[in-house]
Amino acid sequence: MLMMVTLMAGTVLAHHSFTAEFDVNKPVKLTGKVTEMKFSNPHSWIYLDVEKDGKVVNWALETGAANALIRRGWKKTDLPAGTVLVVDGWQARNGTATANVSSVTFTDGKRLFAGSSNESAETK
Amino acid sequence: MFSWSVRALFALSAFVLSAQQIQLPRTADGKPNLQGIWQVRGNAAADLKGIVEGGAIPYQPWAATKKQQNFTSRLTADPVGKCYFPGVPRIMYMEYPFQIFQTPEHVAITFEWSQVYRLIYTNGKTPPHDGIDSWMGDSRGRWEGNTLVVEVKGQNDKTWFDSAGDFHSDAMNVTERYTMLDADTIRYEATIQDPKVFTKSWKISMPLARQKNLPRLLEYQCQAEAEEASGDFERDPRTWYPNPGAPPSPLGKPAVMPPSGTLPEVKTGTNLRRTPDGKPDLTGYYTSNAGGANYGLEQRRSELRLTPSTRGVIIDPPDRTLPYQPWARAERINREEPYRGYDDPTAHCFVAGVPRSMYVPSPVQILQPPGYVVMLFERMSWRIIPLDGRAHIPDNIRLWQGDSVGHWEGDTLVVDTTNLNGKTWLNEVGDVVSYAEHVIERFIPTADGKITYRATVTDPIAYTRPWTIEIPLSRGNDELLEVACHEDNGDLQNLKNVRDEYRAQQKKGK
Repeated sequence: MLMMVTLMAGTVLAHHSFTAEFDVNKPVKLTGKVTEMKFSNPHSWIYLDVEKDGKVVNWALETGAANALIRRGWKKTDLPAGTVLVVDGWQARNGTATANVSSVTFTDGKRLFAGSSNESAETK
Repeated sequence: MFSWSVRALFALSAFVLSAQQIQLPRTADGKPNLQGIWQVRGNAAADLKGIVEGGAIPYQPWAATKKQQNFTSRLTADPVGKCYFPGVPRIMYMEYPFQIFQTPEHVAITFEWSQVYRLIYTNGKTPPHDGIDSWMGDSRGRWEGNTLVVEVKGQNDKTWFDSAGDFHSDAMNVTERYTMLDADTIRYEATIQDPKVFTKSWKISMPLARQKNLPRLLEYQCQAEAEEASGDFERDPRTWYPNPGAPPSPLGKPAVMPPSGTLPEVKTGTNLRRTPDGKPDLTGYYTSNAGGANYGLEQRRSELRLTPSTRGVIIDPPDRTLPYQPWARAERINREEPYRGYDDPTAHCFVAGVPRSMYVPSPVQILQPPGYVVMLFERMSWRIIPLDGRAHIPDNIRLWQGDSVGHWEGDTLVVDTTNLNGKTWLNEVGDVVSYAEHVIERFIPTADGKITYRATVTDPIAYTRPWTIEIPLSRGNDELLEVACHEDNGDLQNLKNVRDEYRAQQKKGK
């Protein structure tokens, strides 16, 4: 069965480091407000306050390499705190509020870091 | 009429002036030639206080307290103690040699310490990406008479000036001045401005001494050596160069290697831009179209979403598979097991080696100073390729990036690399290589900004015959950014956990 997920350009498809931390059998879909974005390599991190059952949990979402995002024009200030995002991803094996992101959109469906949906941008 | 003493004075000053003009080596464009291998002597890296002009660093009162706290915890808190990037100016006075290269548009400094480099742009360009902060900063330089003045901006607040806890904020700007005093001495000055931490700007000054007895830099791979010493990165006796006195690889006598297959010719381009010595000018920022080589050199179509398909970059043998010896093919398959991920040296942020450095999915800046080709990899590491036909270093010196010597065959740059240490993987799926690896690379310029890159690997311990890969490199209009892999390495602990779980299960099963 093909999973219809699109991977952000710049996501490092290093299967070792992915499978060591995340579980492809634990898909998550989250909606929340950005609290912080950390640019780093090989992964950047978006921190999202997600409300569930009246409680707010801050999720750590692993996304693409900072340098790939920077080269597509993204700056730290482009994702201000409070921005609402909708995230599809895979949760950490250890069940914590951590996930590897496969797609991120704004509430209107427009993709974050939009551009080429070609995941092989990183695997050139 | 002038008196004898005045005449003598004129003669003396004319002599001194002309002596000064003769003394300084100069580049083709008339600048003082700073090139060569240099090092700072003295213990500034331990504590700056001996070389601060005015005596003491002018901390604001809150910062003086913080410095004392840093000093107290320095044995664990010093970032360089964790092998993190030292920042500028500290990298300049660590007690390891560095090499300066000079071209019309760049001054590059490559450091023996952890293969750090600094690329100083002297072409008047502003950074294409702004608002980036990094450990080593962004350096832009200009000549003021005989002094190279470098402005270093954008450093983060995570580095110290020394191991005594002297620190700064992310508002710091550093202005360096490199003044050549004679052929073997550069006066290095750095002025520190940081209104968040200091009451005023302050300055350090020290001589850089030319290291005339060093033919080349070697390696001090800080984190790799620490992990090998602690056992966190384990020896593989089949591929690593044996320790002195230890038995050779348990795989026995290496295979007798047949010659390489015949490869299709690639024609070099016409109307190539050339350097003043008539060679093709390869200078530039390059990315590789490697078809996923960092996830496998052989072709593989992947069903799993998360394991990339790979185009396959092998052009010889003709069946485009790697001519593995059986043990190495079995090892390669085993390396794809989840518990082996920890063994990939690049998961530890160790240097990628040769040829892997050329196809990790990150760019490379190629520079062509006189007598060298220098490659600076965005994944912080360098290769220095001398073109003077020197012999390789002694066999028992083994390096992560090996020892490379280059020469031109017509318009093709041919690079011969030996003295590799056998500690690297050829990619993330674990294509195998041993210390017996001998690599011959060809950089074939097919047009301005287009290079067909070929690497022929001869490794009689892991393979039955030589094999060759081919990958196109393309120049782009961009600049390197920083990758602080080790500093930001969160993945490694997860990989170690997987390995440790596996080993625990194996023990229980026994």
